[in-house]
Amino acid sequence: MKKTSSVNPFKRGFAAVLGNEKSQGITIPVFAILLSLVACAIIILALGKNPLTAFTSLLQGSGVLPKVTYAAKKSMFTDFMSMINEFTPMLFAALAVALALKTGLFNIGVSGQMLVAGFIATITVGYSKLPMAAALPLVLIIGIISGAAVGALIGWLKHRFNINEVVTSIMLNYIFEYLISYFINSYYINAISRQSQAISASASLTLANVALGGLKVDIPLGFILTIPVAFLVLFLLNRTRLGYELKVVGLNRRAAKYAGINVGRSLITSMALSGALAGLAGVTLYMGYYTSIQPRVLTSVGFDSIAVCLLGNMHPIGILFSSLLITVISKGGNYMSSIVGVPEEITEMITGLILLFSACGAFIRYRVSITKEEITEEKLRAKSAAAAEGGEKA
Amino acid sequence: MDEFIVEMRHITKRFPGITANDDVSISVKKGEIFALLGENGAGKSTLMSMLFGMYEPDEGEIYIRGKKVNITSPSHATQLNIGMVHQHFKLVENYTITENIILGQEPKARFLGLLPSVDIKGSNKKIAELSKKYGLEVDPTKKIEEINVSTRQRVEILKMLYREAEILIFDEPTAVLTPQEIEFLLEIIRGLRNSGKTVILITHKLEEIKKVADRCAILCRGKLVGVMDVADTSTKTMANMMVGRDVSFTTEKDKPRFGAEVLEVSHLTVKNHDSLPVVKDVSFKVRAGEIFAIAGVSGNGQTEVADAITGLADSCGGSIKLSGRDITKESVRERTLAGISYIPEDRHEVGLVLDFDLAENLALREYFKEPFCRKGILQEAAFEEHGKRLIEEYDIRSGQGTVTSVRSMSGGNQQKAIIAREIELGSELMIFVQPTRGLDIGAIENIHKQIIAQRDEGKAILLVSLELDEIINLADTIGVMYNGEMLNIAPAETLTANQVGEYMMGVKAV
Repeated sequence: MKKTSSVNPFKRGFAAVLGNEKSQGITIPVFAILLSLVACAIIILALGKNPLTAFTSLLQGSGVLPKVTYAAKKSMFTDFMSMINEFTPMLFAALAVALALKTGLFNIGVSGQMLVAGFIATITVGYSKLPMAAALPLVLIIGIISGAAVGALIGWLKHRFNINEVVTSIMLNYIFEYLISYFINSYYINAISRQSQAISASASLTLANVALGGLKVDIPLGFILTIPVAFLVLFLLNRTRLGYELKVVGLNRRAAKYAGINVGRSLITSMALSGALAGLAGVTLYMGYYTSIQPRVLTSVGFDSIAVCLLGNMHPIGILFSSLLITVISKGGNYMSSIVGVPEEITEMITGLILLFSACGAFIRYRVSITKEEITEEKLRAKSAAAAEGGEKA
Repeated sequence: MDEFIVEMRHITKRFPGITANDDVSISVKKGEIFALLGENGAGKSTLMSMLFGMYEPDEGEIYIRGKKVNITSPSHATQLNIGMVHQHFKLVENYTITENIILGQEPKARFLGLLPSVDIKGSNKKIAELSKKYGLEVDPTKKIEEINVSTRQRVEILKMLYREAEILIFDEPTAVLTPQEIEFLLEIIRGLRNSGKTVILITHKLEEIKKVADRCAILCRGKLVGVMDVADTSTKTMANMMVGRDVSFTTEKDKPRFGAEVLEVSHLTVKNHDSLPVVKDVSFKVRAGEIFAIAGVSGNGQTEVADAITGLADSCGGSIKLSGRDITKESVRERTLAGISYIPEDRHEVGLVLDFDLAENLALREYFKEPFCRKGILQEAAFEEHGKRLIEEYDIRSGQGTVTSVRSMSGGNQQKAIIAREIELGSELMIFVQPTRGLDIGAIENIHKQIIAQRDEGKAILLVSLELDEIINLADTIGVMYNGEMLNIAPAETLTANQVGEYMMGVKAV
């Protein structure tokens, strides 16, 4: 009567590790990351290099592990701070995507909103002679407001004319990209760098080359905001009346109406809040990580942030970790290519693979749940077979 | 036995929790119009879906032209010359009539004797001929999006004829048509019979059966109650059989004590998305301590009346007063606070947020008030406490208590949660729309008791139901809606189920 199990032990193992629905928020992204690292290792091996050295050098390059030697006035700390400088806008952008997704909207226009915020803050505060104490708060406020305004416009278009936010935000990306290029090229261009004129040092959110214990370090002030903002988004979504309303609207618009929620206002609010976070990302990128804007280029941060957000399971705390991971890899890429001798593009490939695999999270979850069902079914069948046998004997 | 073109013997079909067809046997003669009559959910459509190959029966056999067959798919049914016009048309909007009809069986032509292409010109001619032959005039080159509902239906019929169907199944064909269009359709159906086709007509409208059908089978709760010759059976007998005499289990209730007028609806008009009026000049009043039931066949405007009163739908004429205060222009939130509880027809799409947990859903209508919310911050403890209390008091069964995802709960418990929430609002007016739809007997009884208890507490109750039994059981006053109009309002004790049934079919008040 003994039947061979239809579920192979390999699958059983996966179901056991990934099957717990409560911890799936963590286990599945980690599994996705491991899968992508394995895939990358295979590619690096195929190039005839040692994947372990490659991965270590990634961490060294981004200041997580110490390098063997450092140039004058540089140390692991300098590398680390420089990585954090890049991490800051990525986190805000990913939070912007997450807030929209959690409330049932897809903000694919984060890059455009970042550009608008960065540009407006640049021409208002960046080119002014305001002292730092006045300039920096103003940069943040202007960034938030201009990002929110673009977001609100997208939300309003959706509410008023029922235009899908994906369409409007993508189209607005182009409109802003070229409109702002026009202004930069006409009024603010630096003839040598072909970028906008650099902003004044007192308006930069990143303090460049600060002498600190014999080192020259970049200090990204925006970083101070990252963790509080992540927790603020979490609090807003889970603990406030506004968050409750936005989520109901996102999950079920008809139920929201039934509950007496003003659906249109909620849509606009969701997009405005998402835009505000994108605005923060914009000023920390263009007025911190960079000090100028390159015309006719949309930053990839706004698009990468979508995947980063998914990798972080749309949860603000998860996003803290996923943005850190992605930034570490992209930052360490330069060093890896020089140490291991693989092209720098490989790092972008690693990032791409991680994001690709993390986007498969839902698929992995689905496969795991199917396997789990197969296992329970088999158990049931075994049980009833055993019962039948017992019955026959009796 | 070959005079029967279709025989379905001892057909049983079960779905989770319900037996849709229970040992049903019917035989249809070649060249007759055979009607299937029954209330909503009596199992008519399920039975025909099996004949058309969309489901397979759990038990029983199907014989076509005397041969036993196992119909596995609609295309298999088509091979057997069976065709079906569904209630919801299945047409490609931006294709022409001809393209829709030939879709899947395109006649091939060769362009310049070489390149294979679809012979549209020839098909257009063929369709035109076909449509003339059966009196179904259409312009084959028009696109579907340009033509109206009744023409679309003709296209569906032509689709069957093009595939040389001999057995034509119509699923509630008149539901979407105007009276004139209905007349015309019935004429077409008669024409089809006269040219030798066999027609099976699914309907719950007695008049139509009386007009066209030769024989009629009556289904009630999945069982076959009888097959009769239409010519020598009265509409009344058919209505009796359709409702089922012996079924009604009555709920105990005391004599009503009516109080002050709570709801006054006057000359209410509501339009749908296509700006067609779905509620026409409806007026009624509901007093405290009264259950006012609106009876009617699905889609006659009852739900829209409820939506208009609660503010979910805009009313475009007339007024709604709650305890003397005009609320016609107020928002949903204002109306809720003014004292309206609403148990909507669609639990999943309207009444609940399925991905929220039970505690959050139980607070869906009050989350913004103390104690759930202070200064914009949600008070988790209040949600938890409120949830626990309601779960206890209303016996809501769920896997993990207040943190259960509502999606995972059974329909009966989801409905209990909604009713608990709405009763807790303590509103003067409670609106129940189809409160027992899809629930089992136990849950239905429980809900009926709660509705009566609310009435006895002096609440004004507006009940919309498609179940005649439910209405007869609970109502103190009955209003019947047909085609957007309130046909008749009368105290429940002056009406019999059959009379209500007749009004529901559009027979005017005597």
